[in-house]
Amino acid sequence: MKDTFIAEKDVDQKTVKIAARDVQVWYGDNHAIKDVNVDIEDKTVTAFIGPSGCGKSTFLRCINRMNDTIDICRVTGDIRIDGEDIYDRKVDPVQLRAKVGMVFQKPNPFPKSIYDNVAYGPRIHGLSRNKAELDEIVERALKRAAIWNEVKDRLTAPGTGLSGGQQQRLCIARAVATEPEVLLMDEPCSALDPIATAQVEELIDELRQNYSVVIVTHSMQQAARVSQKTAFFHLGHLVEFGETDKIFTAPEDERTESYITGRIG
Amino acid sequence: MPDQHIASAFDRDLEAVQAQIMKMGGMVEDAIRLAAKSLETRDEELAQKVRGADRAIDSLELQINESAARVIALRAPTAIDLRLILSVIKISGNLERIGDYAKNMAKRTGVLATLPTVNDSAGAIRRMAQAVEGMLKDALDAYIRRDAELAMDVIARDEDVDQMYNALFREFLTFMMEDPRNITACMHLHFIAKNTERMGDHVTSIAEQVVYLVTGEHPDESRPKADQTSIVAEE
Repeated sequence: MKDTFIAEKDVDQKTVKIAARDVQVWYGDNHAIKDVNVDIEDKTVTAFIGPSGCGKSTFLRCINRMNDTIDICRVTGDIRIDGEDIYDRKVDPVQLRAKVGMVFQKPNPFPKSIYDNVAYGPRIHGLSRNKAELDEIVERALKRAAIWNEVKDRLTAPGTGLSGGQQQRLCIARAVATEPEVLLMDEPCSALDPIATAQVEELIDELRQNYSVVIVTHSMQQAARVSQKTAFFHLGHLVEFGETDKIFTAPEDERTESYITGRIG
Repeated sequence: MPDQHIASAFDRDLEAVQAQIMKMGGMVEDAIRLAAKSLETRDEELAQKVRGADRAIDSLELQINESAARVIALRAPTAIDLRLILSVIKISGNLERIGDYAKNMAKRTGVLATLPTVNDSAGAIRRMAQAVEGMLKDALDAYIRRDAELAMDVIARDEDVDQMYNALFREFLTFMMEDPRNITACMHLHFIAKNTERMGDHVTSIAEQVVYLVTGEHPDESRPKADQTSIVAEE
């Protein structure tokens, strides 16, 4: 009986974390996302790939309602995280963004100390009762972002004084400090050298144990290296979504094939 | 899908490695044909030529694998390009094996020329070799034309080769039982027949690579296998 239970749980582990149905996005008259339907799994790295302007970043930003900050942007359709409609009027976008963390293309630490960069989120969300607890949260986040050993002796130094790769890992620490369930990454390695890129990729693989990670990347090789699922966007459509190894060995759609093999299309 | 990569040097690399495969294929076709001919006509000089030509086939395989490794290292091929490079590596391996079998046939020709003929076995083997050569030609055509249907046809035709081998196997058994003086020649001829049957299997593998290259899926493993000699007992 027990064995059966374990086996069932194993299958159940790949539950759908984010479910998008008929999502449309307009920037004014520009129809940026057209009829996107996708199920993003929990504890999985999903890569969004596609040429510039294909809508992959726009769609990523829908997942934590970052597009709300753009006046002319209109989102319709249904996006649910754990079955909850994130565009419901009762949902507080600030709370949502604590649950759905984000890391951007360029490392953007606050002009504050390393400690305060990480402590910022937990503070505004009231996640700690005292200084000792906050210290613990900061340390845990920095460790999880694999940067603790490099900064533990200079937590009061400004975050902006770190190297590019360290800054990006600091931003990842900041994003995971609020214990999010989903981590969105918009080209997190495009400003990093190969070593720092490898460190961030290693980190992404570790984060997968706890989070559902969605990464937008222009590097096909990076998508192939870090993700289990890949979604190819083209002209606002989600053209193909499937297992990463399938997409990179035998994609079904010609447009996917043209793009990933570097053909004109 | 457009044919050309944005990086045109990538296209040139892929074309070059495919041209090498076609060149190697042509050399192997010649080797099969000439080896079988030398066997039937007991032409030791021609057999010598076939044996000598195998070295060129082997070195071409090395070159192809080096080109393929270079493309993988420099271009990180994906999807159809990746399948192409994988197929190039496997096909060159198959061709090299076929070349070796042809060389082996040419080697045995020398001994066989000193022995009495065994009925028309040499002619039968030549017909079998012709069937394999035809399959190889079509497999290479299918490769260059990206024709999965023709490749499937080649795969199906391997059954005929297997059947020819079955028939020869039984004949050799009979000849050897009839007259023990046939044994030496029959043993050599049997190896040749078996090797020719194996050539057919390698051609089939090439055709399977073509199907994978074109469709992204390996063909069914349930192809008909007609080699039943492993269960034949002396009657």
